[in-house]
Amino acid sequence: MRILGAPVNVAARRRVFVLGIALAAIFLALAVPRFGNGHIVPPEKLHPAAESYRRATFVLNLNPVRWSLIWLDMAQIAGAISSADKGAAKKFKNEIAQARLIAQPKAKGGEEPDMAAARKKGRRAVFSAATRGVAGLISMHIDRAVAGKDREHVKAHLEEGRKVFQAFAESLTYLDPAAWKKMQLAWLDSFSNLGTPGILGAGARLMNIKRIRAATSVISSYMGKNFARYTAGTGQRLAARPQASPTYVKTAKIPWRLPPGSNTNKQLPRPRQLLGMAERGANEGETGLIALGDMAFDSAEIFGEPARSLNVTCNTCHNKGVTNPNFFIPGLSYRKGGMDVSNNFFVPHANNGIFGHIDIPDMRGIRFTAPYGRNGRTASLREFIRNVIVLEFNGPEPDPMLLDGMAAYINEFEFLPNPKIKPSGMLNEKNNNDSARRGEKIFHRNFPQMMGGMSCASCHIPSNHFLDRKNHNIGTAKGFAPHALDGSFDTPTLLSAKYSAPYFNDGSQPTLQAVNEWFNKRFALGLSKKELNDLTAYVEAIAGGTEAYEETIYTLDSELEEFSFFLSTYEFLKRKKKKEIIIITLKTVATELEAHKWDVQDRRHMPVLDKLESLIREAALLFEMGNVSAADGKIAAYRKLYEKNTSALK
Amino acid sequence: MRKFFLALICFLLAVSALAGPVPAAQPLRVALVPIANPDRFIDGVKPAMRFLEKQIGRKIRYFITLNYSAAVEAMSAGRADISFLPPLPYVLARSQAGVEVILGEIYRGKNYYHSKIFVRRDSGIKNLSDLKDKTIAYVDPISSSGFMYPHDIFERAKLLKGGIQNPEGDFFRRVYFAGGDEQAIRSVLGKFVDAAGVSEFSINLLKQNERAALLPLASSARIPSHNVVARKGLDPKLKERFIAAMLKLNKPDNQKYLKYLYGTEGYIKVSHSAYQLVADMALKYGFIRK
Repeated sequence: MRILGAPVNVAARRRVFVLGIALAAIFLALAVPRFGNGHIVPPEKLHPAAESYRRATFVLNLNPVRWSLIWLDMAQIAGAISSADKGAAKKFKNEIAQARLIAQPKAKGGEEPDMAAARKKGRRAVFSAATRGVAGLISMHIDRAVAGKDREHVKAHLEEGRKVFQAFAESLTYLDPAAWKKMQLAWLDSFSNLGTPGILGAGARLMNIKRIRAATSVISSYMGKNFARYTAGTGQRLAARPQASPTYVKTAKIPWRLPPGSNTNKQLPRPRQLLGMAERGANEGETGLIALGDMAFDSAEIFGEPARSLNVTCNTCHNKGVTNPNFFIPGLSYRKGGMDVSNNFFVPHANNGIFGHIDIPDMRGIRFTAPYGRNGRTASLREFIRNVIVLEFNGPEPDPMLLDGMAAYINEFEFLPNPKIKPSGMLNEKNNNDSARRGEKIFHRNFPQMMGGMSCASCHIPSNHFLDRKNHNIGTAKGFAPHALDGSFDTPTLLSAKYSAPYFNDGSQPTLQAVNEWFNKRFALGLSKKELNDLTAYVEAIAGGTEAYEETIYTLDSELEEFSFFLSTYEFLKRKKKKEIIIITLKTVATELEAHKWDVQDRRHMPVLDKLESLIREAALLFEMGNVSAADGKIAAYRKLYEKNTSALK
Repeated sequence: MRKFFLALICFLLAVSALAGPVPAAQPLRVALVPIANPDRFIDGVKPAMRFLEKQIGRKIRYFITLNYSAAVEAMSAGRADISFLPPLPYVLARSQAGVEVILGEIYRGKNYYHSKIFVRRDSGIKNLSDLKDKTIAYVDPISSSGFMYPHDIFERAKLLKGGIQNPEGDFFRRVYFAGGDEQAIRSVLGKFVDAAGVSEFSINLLKQNERAALLPLASSARIPSHNVVARKGLDPKLKERFIAAMLKLNKPDNQKYLKYLYGTEGYIKVSHSAYQLVADMALKYGFIRK
């Protein structure tokens, strides 16, 4: 019996075991967030020296140069050199100190130095020293590696050297691709010859230090010949130019990249966007001009370089029409949520030569908030949009229909519904607490200290969307001279403002409470702590709204629906013979599809998304070549495929 | 008789006083090989280790080792009780130090994964035989998904033969070991090599706009997941308590501890039979000898 019984039991047990594993797997598949990556090392972070070198290269190419950032990055490079060789670090620090004197000279004999000349000379001096320092650091790690006998020691220095080497990835890839490949193979060769200790000898391979020496000498030699005594040339964009290399491509153009530390990702949770016409029940497929504007708002194709290649769109900064609080580009942003928009990076010819960080404005309810621009310089939204495209992001002069579309779309942005206030702007008594009610009275109180007896409500008129459409100089900006009259700004609306921090033209106030405290101090209003809290309770009530954010983080289905909305313009644009706008539309949908297809929750549907993307790319190409009927066929195939898979693509 | 018992009690009390306090149970020692920044890794696993301590009712002393070899050495020398190993290092460790596999990891709902051979989409390479006289980057000479299994793809396709001592065979111009999954897959992306043999998850190391440039050319046999091993001779009761505690990490409330523990989704109980094919392959290609 035991003999007969045993196999049955084993088989039964195995079935239970297999079933158990299957159930566990199904449970985990359903219940667990998808982060399992099977011990894969996460993407490598840049070595601090490489990160600082790349960021400094970007910032040094700006005008003006934010020197405070440069000195921080040079200190970081010095730290990395110091950990390898204290003597070399001392030399590097001395060179940077000398360069600093050139870049930021002091006035002599009452004469102001020529700061433009100092900047040009200083940035070259700093960049040259940094390039020498980083190249030297790579060679130092290689020297340490090949001098060692212990495998772990050799490996550690090779790893450090290879990480620092990434400092040059953005320049040498383009300026000397042949040498770049040769050196990458040298790194591979070195690591291949490290061998392995195996596991207690099993699977072991011996390290071959001779071959490592031979391989790394290619890199050391290149660094030495090209960068040991490097001096940056004049009149060129700063980049590590390997002038001693026979394979240096002098005419190569280096594409612009945003520096390490940049963040152009959209915020999560996503802001809820309310489009007036959609909320009122209009069929989105029949509002062609608005659909066109929606597409253009998401399109980098309407901008010029470098915004186009970097896929910067209106939606990058004004995500869903709302301030993107994460947006940050070192050297161009002073703090998160804003940027200097008159810079030499996005539009060299429109640079005003000064660093002026501007907070990204919230666009909700924009049709009620004219004039536009922080200083209210433009009455027309359409004209303002044109200026952003052409003067801030280097775009070509937009087609009038495209501008009409963008104005039509943006004018549909609604404020969030707010049950705490009445249509008149007065507090809805029922929906507010005592603190907010007391705050409303303070908001309407006239203060003799405040510009001749004004109240908060004097400018932020409740019945007029909490603004007065005027400029006021309340002292938030430092003038160009002691008695300069250049600091007035347009009164911003307070509606929906709770979700668009930070505040003020330069984003200097992080919260609404901080804004109130600033006013209390600036105008000596004498408000007590309790009164300030009441005022904040009131402002938060009027600045709030219902469902400010979307609940889901999965957005692929709504994005795909939006692409159909974009494509709904195809027929009418053809009738209007707007070839360029059609190409912009198709390219934009393709780019957006490429970016969003990775959000699909079930990867089995990826081939469908790949097909949708390729159909749109082909349509764009065919249309550009003038083969309209073939492009029509691709668009029809796209629509059919999307319709067939709509419910699955989430 | 009463006097005898009294004397005995006094004697025992004296002995216990001389012996000092009763020693606390030895901590369970866990050797961890970091997959990223060691400092961040050791900080990251702390909450999981504290949770496991509470569950097993014993202190856990965890420490990082330079590599899998050092972790197994520590187990072999009795300085570590538990470690986390990939499949090939596990079968090597079993053959050399008799370690026992106790748990397998779950990734994306499965307890196995694959290796893939990636090439650039624009390379014109359409099948494995097109890689004749070309170069390939693997991850590491004792990597399961980053060497043995992708090597096996070529052996199965009869393009290579003879195991790992001559990984180029008569087929590849050069085989590289890049030192990491990211370095291997970026080598093919950057056109420094013609192909990369890496874990299927490596593609996620690339930015979204980079992924489309690569084409998966072939997929390996199933690789059983990375696992948790116990040293030979570990107290069976303690081992069972540890297994039970680890399985509690699968509960939704405890998932938070897993994120930093190698980024797995959970664990299941396994035995060596799940890894027999790995051991067979390691033997076939010469990682271990009979």
